[in-house]
Amino acid sequence: MDYAVEINDVSKMFKLYHENVRSLKEKVLLFRKRGYERFWALEDINIKVEPGETLGIIGANGSGKSTLLKCITKILYPTTGKITTNGSIAALLELGAGFQPDLTGRENVYLNASILGFSKKEVDKRFDAIVAFSELERFIDNHVRNYSSGMFIRLGFAIAINVDPDILIIDEVLAVGDEAFQRKCLERIDEIQEAGKTIVFVTHNVEVTKEICSNVVMLDHGHIIKSGNPREVVNYYHQVMETAEEGSERGTHQIEITGVTLLNENDEPTTDFQTGQSMKIKVGYRTSEPITDPVFGFSIDDYRGFTVYGTNTMLKEMDLGTVDGEGYVQFNLKALPMLEGRYLVSVAVHSRDEETVYHWLDRYVPFDMHSDINDAGMLYVPTEVQISR
Amino acid sequence: MIERFRDLWAHRELLWNMTVKELKVKYKRSVLGFVWSFVTPIIMLAVFSLVFALLAKGSDLHWFAVYLMCGLLPWLFFVNSLMQSVGSVITNAALVKKVYFPREILPIAAVGANIFHFVMQMLVFFIFLLIIQWHFSIYLLLFPLVLLLEIVFTLGMSLFVSAANVYLRDVQHFVEVATMAWFWLTPIVYTMATLRGVAGRYTWIYLLNPIANITLLWQYAIYNPHRYGPSAAYLSLWGIVFTTVGSFLLLFASYYYFTRSERGFAEQI
Repeated sequence: MDYAVEINDVSKMFKLYHENVRSLKEKVLLFRKRGYERFWALEDINIKVEPGETLGIIGANGSGKSTLLKCITKILYPTTGKITTNGSIAALLELGAGFQPDLTGRENVYLNASILGFSKKEVDKRFDAIVAFSELERFIDNHVRNYSSGMFIRLGFAIAINVDPDILIIDEVLAVGDEAFQRKCLERIDEIQEAGKTIVFVTHNVEVTKEICSNVVMLDHGHIIKSGNPREVVNYYHQVMETAEEGSERGTHQIEITGVTLLNENDEPTTDFQTGQSMKIKVGYRTSEPITDPVFGFSIDDYRGFTVYGTNTMLKEMDLGTVDGEGYVQFNLKALPMLEGRYLVSVAVHSRDEETVYHWLDRYVPFDMHSDINDAGMLYVPTEVQISR
Repeated sequence: MIERFRDLWAHRELLWNMTVKELKVKYKRSVLGFVWSFVTPIIMLAVFSLVFALLAKGSDLHWFAVYLMCGLLPWLFFVNSLMQSVGSVITNAALVKKVYFPREILPIAAVGANIFHFVMQMLVFFIFLLIIQWHFSIYLLLFPLVLLLEIVFTLGMSLFVSAANVYLRDVQHFVEVATMAWFWLTPIVYTMATLRGVAGRYTWIYLLNPIANITLLWQYAIYNPHRYGPSAAYLSLWGIVFTTVGSFLLLFASYYYFTRSERGFAEQI
């Protein structure tokens, strides 16, 4: 069968010259010693994209995502390996690349579409749709030089997404425009998918991939480190990204948190929980001097830093009196409402007036939520459906 | 190579649009706009006619200003094409790094825009010639062939310098200087009679310059030297054959070189 995009053993090496030798004099003088380092931006990449599939590519900065897209679109040539594509390609690597400031919006629509490889006839048919999508009806005959950056990007996006390629390649451009515009873009992508077109796209907004991709590939330093089901890959992505930033702590250490353990309903330590299960957060502490009236607290955040829930002993109207020596505080959470995903527990102990932080462990313990429930959203709300006829 | 050609053909509409863009952008925000392509040759004609009417009294060339224009307009087409295409890939870096299309479109569009200017200027020139009731010779029929030959040579040069300039920015500066010297190695402001008086039996070396042969053809086609200035009547058969074969070979070689080096463009700029 023919794949829409087939990437076979592709590697890409960049030569990083120590100095940018560009003039004849330098070239002659440095003839023998043009030192450079080899930098492999991609190594042995194998990806097959079937027609109609939507592939997301995620990874940290510098992982090789954009290089891969550029190889697919023939902007760069792989050092080794081969990439074959079937069908017309429109690439959204940068919106409005090639806009001429001294031409009008209308003229630029035609120019830009032909850069993307589409004929005047095709653009004629879609011109109104493009203008409507960009919401620039009043300005389409003005010079692009007078457009705001938002208008510029909207027009660029409208062109690229309304021409009708077999394969659409998108690099990190969904993050433009206000929320309404983003929504519109996602709806348009839905339509493109329904039309059976292939989409390959790169994004840092990994949650979007869960929504629209049938397959996700995660790159790290030029290698594919995980691929397959979007949920799994995205969760793995969060794990990897968190280990990088986890463990930030601060405080005076007059009370030191010696350990945080998550316990399940059988009081066994674990980091995997089911929706609806109970959880105990056990916070061990040790003081270096007697402390009067400390407050212990915790919060559960998702990967974005969005706090799902948090409380402390002050909010629970408890008075711990004077604390000295070792001990632990345990929070018993009756039922976890979160659906599938990865969360982080932060714990802190501070004075009642919050002036002094004794010890604060930010995003300290990660845990995973699992769920058999296929409902959408972040939290589970027990729902019964009633139908009357 | 054939595949490349097919790709270029598939993008012919882009080539057309880019050429039109070059033209539009050049005169955007100027009041006279396209009129400038006409005004330039008119003013040149007026100035040269006046200057040479006063200075070049001893010459046996009648209408020296016309003789001059026959060589100068094609020369300007050649130089302007070269100067505009040499930086065409670099100035479009944003595009080259972000979108795929056959990159040869950039220098070809630069040449295309200059073909348009050249034709416009020739039009004005011919209107002037008709007004002064110029006697054309049968050689006027060579016009389209000479134009084709000059375009082939110009395209060959343009493709080569635009690709080379990506890897070595000196090319741009070199072209500037080289064309200045080149101008004086071409019989535009002097005649072959003068040149042969100086060069003698080394004239054949001089005729290795394709643009010299092309210029002589232009003068033959338009100026009608047998009537207006016999000292300018000179053509070299082997020079023309050499130029024709050379120009086509150059075009193929340059195109091949361009498509080979094109792979590294996005990394180099």
